[in-house]
Amino acid sequence: MARYGMALDYKKCINCKACETACKEENGILLGADKHRIWVGVKEVEGEFPLLSIASQTFYPSQCQHCDAAPCQEVCPTNATYYDENGVVQVDPDKCILCSYCINACPYDARYVDDRTMTVDKCTFCSDTRLSRGEVTTACQNTCPTKVRIFGDLDDPNSEISQVLREREYFTLKSHLGTQPKLFYLI
Amino acid sequence: MSIKEFITTIPVNKVSIKSLLSFEKNSVNILLAVIIVAFLAMFAIGVGIYLMHGHHAYNVTREHPWGLLIAVYIFFVVSSTGLCIVGSLGDVFGFKDYMEISKRAIFGSIVTILAGFAVIAVEIGHPVTMMIYNVLTPGLTSAIWWMGTLYGLYLTFMIIEFVFLLKNNMKYARIAGITGLLVGLAAHSNLGGVFGFLNARTISNGVFYPTYFILTAFITGIFLAFIMYGFRYRLNFTQSGTKLLTNLAKIQGLLISILIFFVTWKMLTDIYGGMPNRSEVAIHILQSPTFWAEVILAMVIPLFIILKSGGRSVKAMFWASLSGMVGIFFMRYNLVHDTQLKPLQMMKLTEYQLAPTWVEYFPSSTEIMISLGGLGLCMFMYYIGTKLFNLDDGHALKEG
Repeated sequence: MARYGMALDYKKCINCKACETACKEENGILLGADKHRIWVGVKEVEGEFPLLSIASQTFYPSQCQHCDAAPCQEVCPTNATYYDENGVVQVDPDKCILCSYCINACPYDARYVDDRTMTVDKCTFCSDTRLSRGEVTTACQNTCPTKVRIFGDLDDPNSEISQVLREREYFTLKSHLGTQPKLFYLI
Repeated sequence: MSIKEFITTIPVNKVSIKSLLSFEKNSVNILLAVIIVAFLAMFAIGVGIYLMHGHHAYNVTREHPWGLLIAVYIFFVVSSTGLCIVGSLGDVFGFKDYMEISKRAIFGSIVTILAGFAVIAVEIGHPVTMMIYNVLTPGLTSAIWWMGTLYGLYLTFMIIEFVFLLKNNMKYARIAGITGLLVGLAAHSNLGGVFGFLNARTISNGVFYPTYFILTAFITGIFLAFIMYGFRYRLNFTQSGTKLLTNLAKIQGLLISILIFFVTWKMLTDIYGGMPNRSEVAIHILQSPTFWAEVILAMVIPLFIILKSGGRSVKAMFWASLSGMVGIFFMRYNLVHDTQLKPLQMMKLTEYQLAPTWVEYFPSSTEIMISLGGLGLCMFMYYIGTKLFNLDDGHALKEG
């Protein structure tokens, strides 16, 4: 039993998209621009030449926030979306009826339809490929060349993520919606 | 009395294919028959394409997962709830003037919700799975679960009420009617809650839709009452029918005025203060032609007709009701589309070269065919009902 989360040292991100590729490869995600579990958000440079704000250009790697109070889980009519024993928000494809309510309810645009099963799919923190084998890593975290991502158990005070969150300031996305996200952006 | 005996005592006319085809061959009837057959054919073709291609036959996307079929489903279930309210005026609340429309309105509420279910069955990706896991692992925090479950119950009560109305048993019709009405109102406000609970969609989030749905259901029910009566009496209304429709028109005038008041304040509160994700969406909605179609067809035209004649011009109200129903369709379409207008701003460049200001959507031909097919199904079931049952003698009902 753990409570997995991820801290993102997002200012280190170089937008190489190795994480997107690793996720697709490891989890067998279909090709296509709208079929993705994770992505790198790009904030464009602000201002006009030569007064460009270099500091404004930022990359925000993102994915399902594995919220502790996930709107997608609340709205699911068949409980196909559930929290597993590690606090990871999962979808049971056998129960998913593809009503698409969760896609609409997720504030993070983190869900899409898997055309093979015609059910909703999303990031699982590599539960099937890694966590189930006892590896506390994810494909995106493992492949990142600049080590943007720190993955671990938030309930373990000695985990790297717990230490980082004690030592550094961070923010979370759209937390004013009461979602209690478990992706932390380090400042 | 056994169930079998009970069923055999329900007054039903014998209907053959021949009797179904035996209608007065005037131009309006023939046009309607052609439209119904064409719409049914479209439904069959649309469902066929859906069965072959699944959701790929629809123009729904990751950014706009709910499309025309959701809007059409809402259109039908709002119609059903509205007809249930109109039907209840007589047999549940005991207003004698409205008694004669009860049976027709309740039957209308059954066929409209069945048409809605037919449309949603091909929108939900796995309807059979839904029926199984709605029961085995119910999501009690989900407005969709409550809405679907309560609508199922509502349909059951509507059928029971209709059967007792057919049997002139007003006592049991009233019990089933009041239960069905309450369950229907609960279901319908939950449908509003499906949108109202969306924290992520600021434009829809809040108490507005659950209450607005009940108001617009009543308005829709009155529009449909005019349309059903207009066709039944070929606009040559009986004295009692004229009295009933005049009263309904006056109620409609009040309801549309309240609706205009509601929508005005919704827009004002959305825009005022420039709240992100709400104010700019509301301004965008104000600039969309479908919003003005909704306002002009469902609000301005009917209200103008009602105010001009003090509600007494019932023939004009028939035409205004046709305009009103087209407006109500746009109202449902706008509700669904406007909820999803604003991208969720996660700055994804893999999906867009340039981040879109607004999410675009236009229904596919399959979605349009299934939607028109739903209307065809509704009209076809209603026509069969007029042949199978005597929907006219409500005013002759007496206490059972």
